[in-house]
Amino acid sequence: MSNKNLFLKSGFIRAPIQNGVGRFVPQLQRIVLKFCKTYGASQGLREFIEQDLVDFAKENPSVVVYLKPRRHRGPVIVAEYLNGDRVWMSVHNKTHSEITKWIEVLRTQQGDISSLRLRKYQYTDYPSVQGPWTPFTFKDPELNTAQLPDPHFGANDRLPITATEKLRLLFEKQKLSDVKTAE
Amino acid sequence: MSVFRAGLQRITNVLKSSPGGFLSRFVTNLTPVEDKAIPQTSKEVIATCNKLIEQNPSRSFAIIHLLGKQWRVTDGDLLVVEGYWPPNIGDKITLDKVLLAATKDFSLIGRPLVQPGLVTVTATVISKGLSHTRTHFKKKRRKQYMRINFQRAEQTMLRINSVDIASKINKPASNVF
Repeated sequence: MSNKNLFLKSGFIRAPIQNGVGRFVPQLQRIVLKFCKTYGASQGLREFIEQDLVDFAKENPSVVVYLKPRRHRGPVIVAEYLNGDRVWMSVHNKTHSEITKWIEVLRTQQGDISSLRLRKYQYTDYPSVQGPWTPFTFKDPELNTAQLPDPHFGANDRLPITATEKLRLLFEKQKLSDVKTAE
Repeated sequence: MSVFRAGLQRITNVLKSSPGGFLSRFVTNLTPVEDKAIPQTSKEVIATCNKLIEQNPSRSFAIIHLLGKQWRVTDGDLLVVEGYWPPNIGDKITLDKVLLAATKDFSLIGRPLVQPGLVTVTATVISKGLSHTRTHFKKKRRKQYMRINFQRAEQTMLRINSVDIASKINKPASNVF
């Protein structure tokens, strides 16, 4: 299946304002928890608010937390990020532990990253340090001054050994052994 | 073929055949440029590399092993690794499995890893989230078989802060771990 038919944006990895160079800035700016005080679907979110929300706010002083009780509506979490992204998530009938995990995901991500299909998993400003390879990279510079065609460069040195050469080799070997025996 | 060629070269050397001999196309003419002992040369090369590191004239890069993949990293790079990985946002970590480290002028190649403590690659975890939903769709025609699965992978984004080569090539390795 190809990705070109999907209604999904694709892109390359980016980090806002050079995040992580020198200092790290948490990217979650604001989180709004919308819930109903009576509905059962908000049970998990209400438990999270009762038990964990104060600790969450204390541990993340850079995050603004809003609570928005509203009658007879489903529970929703909205997270807003420094790069302007807004992530809306329904937590209908989700349990306390599920909501804890989803809020951790919303806190640690740097924006609406799940709405983007990554085309590359690495970004670099310096694609090559030692220079890109070319066919002449590790070649002898002797070729630069040669007058072509040249039998030295044009010779085919990939040929297998010929029958004549084999015979001459045998002959030379024999001569060598003759010399040795004579000694 | 190389063994065969080496044998041929020995025979031709023994025979003291002329450069234009009948086996000349099998004989490589890769003779050393300077007639210097090899240990002396390597000492000089290492000294030159150490001096280059101290002068710090060019950007350095490294090839690191991370979660089963190899990445070529240099200062300021962004990486996205997929799958479960414990480091959390804001953590500064050192990537220790360095397979190769290099500058513009020389390369240090590990066998398989560069000695510990020689190269320091530091990174910051800047984002942890989930990827987009990937659809795994399988169907076999005329076999009443269809499966559809959805999955999202954990994605961790890293910023490479520095790739530093310490100027102590050929110093005996001290176990830093």
